[in-house]
Amino acid sequence: MKLHIVHIYPNEMNTYGDRGNLLVLKKRAEWHGLESVIHYYHAGDAFPKQADIVLGGGGEDRAQDAIQGDILRIGDKLHALVAAGVPMLMVCGTYQLFGKRFITHEGREIKGIGIFDVETFGGDKRLIGNAAVETADFGTLYGFENHSGRTRLGAAQQPLGTVIRGNGNNGEDKTEGARTHNAIGTYLHGPLLPNNPKLADSLLILARPELTDTLSAAYDDLAERSRANARTRKY
Amino acid sequence: MRRTVGTLLGKSVAGAVRLRGKSGGQALPGLVVETLVPGYLGVMLRQLPQGVVIITGTNGKTTTTKMVVELLLAHGMRVLTNPTGSNLTRGIISSVSQQAKRGGRLPFDIAVFELDEAYARQFTDVVKPRFVLGLNASRDQLDRFGEVDVVARLVSETMLAATDGIIVNADDKRLSAAVSSADVPIAYFGVAPQLLTYFPRDDELVAVDGPEPTLEAADVPLGVELLAFEDDQATYRMAGQELKARLQVTGQHNFQNAAGALALVRAVLPDVDPTELLEALAAVQPAFGRGQEYTLLNGSKLQLNLVKNPASFRQGLASYVQKGTSLMIAINDRVADSRDMSWLWDIDFTSLAGRTVMLTTGSRAVDMALRLQYDDIPVGSVEPDIEKALTAFARLPGDKVIFASYTAMLRLHALLEKNAGKDL
Repeated sequence: MKLHIVHIYPNEMNTYGDRGNLLVLKKRAEWHGLESVIHYYHAGDAFPKQADIVLGGGGEDRAQDAIQGDILRIGDKLHALVAAGVPMLMVCGTYQLFGKRFITHEGREIKGIGIFDVETFGGDKRLIGNAAVETADFGTLYGFENHSGRTRLGAAQQPLGTVIRGNGNNGEDKTEGARTHNAIGTYLHGPLLPNNPKLADSLLILARPELTDTLSAAYDDLAERSRANARTRKY
Repeated sequence: MRRTVGTLLGKSVAGAVRLRGKSGGQALPGLVVETLVPGYLGVMLRQLPQGVVIITGTNGKTTTTKMVVELLLAHGMRVLTNPTGSNLTRGIISSVSQQAKRGGRLPFDIAVFELDEAYARQFTDVVKPRFVLGLNASRDQLDRFGEVDVVARLVSETMLAATDGIIVNADDKRLSAAVSSADVPIAYFGVAPQLLTYFPRDDELVAVDGPEPTLEAADVPLGVELLAFEDDQATYRMAGQELKARLQVTGQHNFQNAAGALALVRAVLPDVDPTELLEALAAVQPAFGRGQEYTLLNGSKLQLNLVKNPASFRQGLASYVQKGTSLMIAINDRVADSRDMSWLWDIDFTSLAGRTVMLTTGSRAVDMALRLQYDDIPVGSVEPDIEKALTAFARLPGDKVIFASYTAMLRLHALLEKNAGKDL
């Protein structure tokens, strides 16, 4: 049975190499012996009937404005998929739109679809740099953050993890990202999945429970070396 | 008064820096003069009878500047320019004070400066340029600029500061639209419609299926148009004539840059004979680390290519990877390279299918190899030490190409300049 990966708004939300996440899932699925079908979802399209994993990337403010109306249109569909346990990875701009609202620096409110109980406020200084986050289910995540939004979690919202280096959601409360069922929101680019194969495989296994985490270590020799470098990087 | 004081100060600081044998001496004299003699750069450059010309944009600044300078020199002008790599205001102040006479006179007709997108905008507050050439705006150093729109805005604002004319890439719609209502003359350069597919704009670079990228031709009259290219030969339309030249600076992106250089030189020298311009263009050699070729001890050729961002890496892969060439990729992550490696994932390496990249090197050698792993391109070995990697690479038989990020290129350039013909 093929794995259907839906990548939402690939032409708008693609600024920081997040298409790498798609490439990693596709290739790792292949290594697990699973053929995948990529569905690019563009504003105005019918949402793909089969969606085993949903991915979204970060984009520029202008791009985020351009897709905002459309994401509200498909909000119910995305909520239903999350409730059904479909794994999702939403990075940066799409993470913000998966929240309840984004209040721009000028005070304008951009409504999100509220899968995560989070609110984001525009900041004046961008938070940029190498980051590391400790998570319960996926180990330490290494990535690169580049965002001006400050995201605050609602009281009951579970974060993705705890910041051990960098700024995370807002530079203050040490939380990074959000998780609701199997949907993950995060500010980590890099892109995220190449350096975090455990997270990549977890998304695949959540989508296809019959898969087991049995890839030979040789596949991840380079990723492990890259992670070792990230652990000790001084800047 | 400021002219003399600033010049002497700049010269003495530069002298002291040289005496102490310090490297990186380009910025310090500029910093001292900038602090102690405010307004120095403005009064100095206002002496120039033909004023100041600025070249800016994400990719192609250094090569295009070299072309413009050499075309103007070939037509008898005395040209002041900034040394490669010091494209920030301080480097320019240093360069001006060192090239001025002790009394503060600048013995040049015109200044042609390559300026970084952010500094170009600041520079126009100090000196109003006569002409500005805007090459392109594309994703680059996003850990520094944040967004591509920011880069486009900076380049556009610099162009709009020109007093006598703007030269803009008609095929970069973000830039050409931003200046369309300027109140100075605009000279457009561009490529023929059938070539547009070789020059994707930033948004097209990463587009996937769905709506087709709009490859519509520019709807403005082109002053200089790249009509065709093959190997080292490029054909341009200019002043109603079709002209061919064999260039030593090759690569499709450089043929496009040359169209910008030609358009700028025609704005500065409106009466120049286009045929003579093309002859001078054919004589231009590649700039520092931008396609420079070295002959190694074993007789093979090695070409060093700077790659800064997805657009330039993509152009490099399309232009310089020939059948049988051995490849090495050198990626560092200092600020000038980009701390963030995400740019490597916006490049499609599948055009290398069937090859092995012989070595990856630099502080991000492992990350580069990891990127290639996901496009199924095997890597011979991962050697973060650039000097060791170059030694191993140079011993391979056959012709070679290196793609290198900025500071990796600087290191390789230094090693090759010193030892290319010897045992590396």
